[in-house]
Amino acid sequence: MKALQIIKYGEIKDSLAFNEVSKPTVQANDVLIEVKAAAINPIDKSIILGNLQGMLPIPLPSTSAYDVSGIVVETGNEVSNFEIGDLVYSRVPQEQMGTLAEFVAVTSDAVSKKPGNISFEEAASLPLAGLTALQSLEYAGIKENDKVLIHAGSGGVGSFAIQYAKAKGAYVYTTTSTNNVQWVKELGADRVIDYKTEDYKSIAKDVDIVFDTLGQNYSLESFEVVKTAGKVVSVVGPLDEASAKMFGMADYKLPEELAEASSEKNVEYKFIFMHPNGAHLNEIKSMIEDEKIKPIVDKVYPFSESIQAFIHLASGRAKGKIVIKIH
Amino acid sequence: MEDLIKKIKSRLHLRPEAEEFLYSISKEKTLSKGEVLIRQGQTVKKTFFVTSGCLRSYCIDKNGKEHTLLFAIKDWWISDYIAIHTDELSTLTVECLTESKVIEFNAKELDGIHARFPEFESYQRHNLERHVVSLHKRILNQLQLSAAERYDLFLKQYPDIEQHTRNFHIASYLGITQQSLSRIRVEKVKK
Ligand SMILES: NC(=O)c1ccc[n+]([C@@H]2O[C@H](COP(=O)([O-])OP(=O)(O)OC[C@H]3O[C@@H](n4cnc5c(N)ncnc54)[C@H](OP(=O)(O)O)[C@@H]3O)[C@@H](O)[C@H]2O)c1
Repeated sequence: MKALQIIKYGEIKDSLAFNEVSKPTVQANDVLIEVKAAAINPIDKSIILGNLQGMLPIPLPSTSAYDVSGIVVETGNEVSNFEIGDLVYSRVPQEQMGTLAEFVAVTSDAVSKKPGNISFEEAASLPLAGLTALQSLEYAGIKENDKVLIHAGSGGVGSFAIQYAKAKGAYVYTTTSTNNVQWVKELGADRVIDYKTEDYKSIAKDVDIVFDTLGQNYSLESFEVVKTAGKVVSVVGPLDEASAKMFGMADYKLPEELAEASSEKNVEYKFIFMHPNGAHLNEIKSMIEDEKIKPIVDKVYPFSESIQAFIHLASGRAKGKIVIKIH
Repeated sequence: MEDLIKKIKSRLHLRPEAEEFLYSISKEKTLSKGEVLIRQGQTVKKTFFVTSGCLRSYCIDKNGKEHTLLFAIKDWWISDYIAIHTDELSTLTVECLTESKVIEFNAKELDGIHARFPEFESYQRHNLERHVVSLHKRILNQLQLSAAERYDLFLKQYPDIEQHTRNFHIASYLGITQQSLSRIRVEKVKK
């Protein structure tokens, strides 16, 4: 089968190649998915650039990407919740990475039936970004009337998070640049802050939750806008100590300034590393079918133009998700 | 099964052998919500008579979106009749929207029942005629009525169905977007 593989670490255009590889074999708990569409995420780019060699070591060559939608064409002996012919979507686990291919084998725990009211391309756009938003906001204990600041509302994670937070009844502040303000408002955000012309810190104040999807100075700044005893969840900032342990860094200490800010305001700082989860995808399926959340797809590329898709992603300017149509 | 037998008896003289035959080609089943009876792409040998609950048949277009053909509630039949009558693989999926009870029949045996028991001939023809009428009505309604009118008719045909179905099931049955359906509902409340 044809697959887009990472052949070495480095610049996108030099490091990806279409290879003929063998079809994955199915373990007892796996389903084999005929891939209809895949989506790409910033992590895929970081892997290609070699930035994650320590945390997520992969053999080279490896097929790229985690997000998939497609049709079940084979099931392992112990799979009872899926049958051949089921239309499904998934964020595949690390060990099974490689959705930019004609087939991918995925442990059935990480799979869910896809929402019935959207296309394969839209479904492929959801898992990684949707699970990230859901797991982060769920960790923060989001509830009705919470004030939430979601950074990068026009990104893959942000555009989902805004809709998820609104569905939970929260008041949503979000940041984006001028060109995106209008459509991000239409996602339901209550106050869209144009970071080109406004200072978000003077607008979003005393929020219950900051969802940091930007990192850098934004992680520390979160403590300026969060209320006492609020929550800061980050998917890009420094690891917290418990997460660091998970990645095998036993002696890791939270950066001092962050630790101080956190204890001063009695605000928990948590780094979330999203995990594959079929049950969460099932929850997302219901929210999509009820149109509480709509998939936001910036552009669908044909498989043959995957490298252009990665270059688009790497620009950092995606409006929602970038999808690749395989079959 | 007794209910169905009673229904049949109200329409024809059912000989004990025929009744026995009906039992021999059928099986009562209790199904849970979400269970799939027929999947697209399979051979279809069964047809189902619904005694309680609600089922839905739908096709999936090439983009992966579902389009609802039919809802089946108490006393309705459901299967993929295209597949049964053409011997092609199913183009439809049939799923339970609620816990449901059905009587499963071997479709070919049931279809051919009039060969053994001629009293079924006019009964089956009558059922088929009614089926054609309802299909033609559905097509004509689709062609000439507004979405709001179609929704009204739908509610008359399936009075309690909204508690069992998702909006997108109904929207895709009516051939409209979920947003249009919501708008129609809001308008109805205003009236
Ligand atoms: N820890 C985890 O498990 C996890 C999971 C998923 C993602 N992530 C990380 O989360 C981040 C976001 O992911 P994503 O998929 O949403 O990325 P993305 O879709 O590529 O994000 C692009 C968006 O970010 C916006 N943006 C860039 N700079 C901004 C700024 N200073 N202020 C506000 N918006 C800004 C851009 O809007 P403009 O063009 O208007 O600037 C653009 O729409 C990435 O760093 C990713 O690696 C982590």
